[in-house]
Amino acid sequence: MDYKRTELGENIGFTSFADKKFNTCFLCIYMITEMNKETVSDYAVANSITSTVNSRIRTIAAMNEQLSELYGAHLDSYANRRGDIQFLTLSGSWLSNRFAIEGEDITEKMLEIITDCLFEPLFDEDIFKLSKKNILDCIDAEFNDKREYTIRKARSIAFKGEPAENSSCGTRESAEAVTVDSAREAYKRLMETAQIEIMYVSPDDDPRVSELFRERFARIARHSKAYGFYAPSPLKPSPELLAEEFDVRQAKIAINFKYDSSDTDAMHLMCIIFGGTPVSKLFMNVREKLSLCYYCACRMNEYKNSVMVDCGVEKSNIEKAEAEIMRQLDEIKNGNITDEELQSALLALENSYSSFGDTPGSYVSWYFDCICKNRYITPIEHMKDLFAVTKERIVEAAKTVKLDSVYRMLNKEAE
Amino acid sequence: MSTREIITCRRTGDTCVYVKHKSGLDILIREMPGFSSVYALFGTKYGSINTTFKLAADKEYTEVPNGIAHFLEHKLFENEDCGVFELFARTGAQCNAYTSFDKTCYLFSCTKNYTENLRILLDFVQKPYFTKENVDKEQGIIGQEIRMTNDNPEWRVLFNMLRCMYHNHPVQIDIAGTEESIAQIDADLLYKCYDTFYNLNNMTLSIAGNISAEEVLAICDEMLRPCADKGLETVFPDEPADIVQAEIHEKQPVGASIFQMGYKCAPCKENFFKKEMTATLAMSYISDASSDMYLRLLSEGIINNTFGGEIFAGDGFFSAIFSGESESPEKVRDAVAAEVRRILAEGIDERVFSRIKKALYGSYVRQLNNVTAFASIMINAHMAGCKPFDPVDIVSELTSADALEFIRNELTEDKIVLSVIEKM
Repeated sequence: MDYKRTELGENIGFTSFADKKFNTCFLCIYMITEMNKETVSDYAVANSITSTVNSRIRTIAAMNEQLSELYGAHLDSYANRRGDIQFLTLSGSWLSNRFAIEGEDITEKMLEIITDCLFEPLFDEDIFKLSKKNILDCIDAEFNDKREYTIRKARSIAFKGEPAENSSCGTRESAEAVTVDSAREAYKRLMETAQIEIMYVSPDDDPRVSELFRERFARIARHSKAYGFYAPSPLKPSPELLAEEFDVRQAKIAINFKYDSSDTDAMHLMCIIFGGTPVSKLFMNVREKLSLCYYCACRMNEYKNSVMVDCGVEKSNIEKAEAEIMRQLDEIKNGNITDEELQSALLALENSYSSFGDTPGSYVSWYFDCICKNRYITPIEHMKDLFAVTKERIVEAAKTVKLDSVYRMLNKEAE
Repeated sequence: MSTREIITCRRTGDTCVYVKHKSGLDILIREMPGFSSVYALFGTKYGSINTTFKLAADKEYTEVPNGIAHFLEHKLFENEDCGVFELFARTGAQCNAYTSFDKTCYLFSCTKNYTENLRILLDFVQKPYFTKENVDKEQGIIGQEIRMTNDNPEWRVLFNMLRCMYHNHPVQIDIAGTEESIAQIDADLLYKCYDTFYNLNNMTLSIAGNISAEEVLAICDEMLRPCADKGLETVFPDEPADIVQAEIHEKQPVGASIFQMGYKCAPCKENFFKKEMTATLAMSYISDASSDMYLRLLSEGIINNTFGGEIFAGDGFFSAIFSGESESPEKVRDAVAAEVRRILAEGIDERVFSRIKKALYGSYVRQLNNVTAFASIMINAHMAGCKPFDPVDIVSELTSADALEFIRNELTEDKIVLSVIEKM
């Protein structure tokens, strides 16, 4: 793999990965900005328009025709969040030219489409209405997946009053308030002020891609800044509990913890041992030993110094499950970590890191993580750091983990 | 004596190896130079629909409780001395399993120690250990899994549709069964099912990635215990061609109402990929995002960008399903039916058809470049009686006449079922 990184302008990074084993090309443009409840939905709707049409391909029908003619090329956009930061992406993926049956230059055509989408979006009233409806439908559909809803709700409690409490697309109310003018203005502001990161993965190095973006961005009067993603969340003075009842068959819980440790590698391993694999303490005890659940897992949000455990459980077993989760955390705090547990956590991470480069997306997500963490290392270098973590460091990190808040989704029938 | 065949994609030149192993197992191997990972699936043609079966030596058919194939999958993860997850944890591999309507697969992915992981995989699947205690323990875990899936509107909308589509075929039954049906499962029944379906003559190994075919075959020689083919026979109750009922609505706590409208089609007995791909092309033509129907429904707010179509097919069942979010699913159903009538009256536009074929070709070629996707393609294709590169080659040969014939014969209005999950 041939990796290159260049600066195309003020806070505009371009990273390319040439890897001959791929038969596809993947281009992803990240627009990074602060998460703000006043602008979150404007940005989400505006960004959604960019993957729908552009000033040259002005209808959905025409865009779809072009993409399917290009062997089913994909154009996609989404709004996401990390820490207190919102980021919007526009991405495209397509088949490498060597697989074009009729000898078309798919790459050239896709670069033209994507740059037109990015630099010359069409804020047409009809397209705007459709994009806004898609965002509203997306917000409504968040409740369809009960596990995701539980996690989202728990996160909003844990980060109440902080930008991170917002969803990536905002609320129904904020999305309802978006107008075609506010979306257009938001997009203009985004292109002028956002930190931009462009990632391109292809079988062969192609210098015209970076030049294309350099030239197009040079036409924009930018006044941007680089964003820091790390924004630790304060621990609540006393743990907060919120419960909601719904007509569901299974209750769910999500427990938020906050930690006060700068030893991120140790905390990372703590989370894997606690609830990151099928041999973790939560899996082996809450599921396998006590048969309380089908899933009980732990995730870490290193940008907010927080850890969340979530579990689907019988309503009558909630207290039992919560007690066992806390007991297993205490086990780690008390140093009860076996050599096998540490070793299997390290091997699981090594396995995951070593598959880096097997898909175009893995290159992009790794280097975007590096940007977010402001820590530019390869997966192999990071593994070396993780292998240097001792049990003592994990215990020290775990000792700073404290209960912050709990969200319970309760089923009505069980009463 | 094992036999070996090199399978080549005519269009791209990609290859894989098929081996009929002397143990009875079918093996598919694809070396993928330049990739780091390895993905392996060891599967049996045994899924939730295989509830009635017998071996050649049996006089009577055996009927087993719903959900037992899935239960067995859970229980194979326990060895006599330790759990299978623990064995893989020692190598760093990720392991898992899944049960579908017509197959159960055990899998691992890794970047190191693939030979050791392959040994573990082949060993534990051939070594069942069921006891009253470990069966009882699993009831609670699977009970929670059943409750979780019953809260999943996507799952509910599919099974509600299948129940309205199929009178007798067990595809209408939830893969995990019910809390009541799994309560009837015991260790003896699990052994009975294991001994019937986990015969190597009924199984396939698929492995792709950073591997050597010779190493894989040497491990298979070492680990596989030859099995006599016991003449497994599975049967399904007679299934009428018509549907049970045309519409079903269920209220659920959802934020967005969702629907599936399916056409009950004739099950496929041969040339599975050809029928599946013809159907996929026909569905793509009908739901094409450039069509007047799609654009009208979109502009009227009746559908959104979740609208799409897919083929749902297996042993004894075949349906063409359109799905998405909508507050007016009846209007979607009526529009699709009208579009089918229009296509039958006006024929297929060759220019549009050719564009859709190109898109489908592109999507298949992309999958050749992905270790996980390709290992799955190999096992799915083989269990369906096809070759892994068939989609790439077949798609080039299909014509608009094929698609039109499918639409005319299969997408008839008396076979439509509409299933809706509505907001409470």
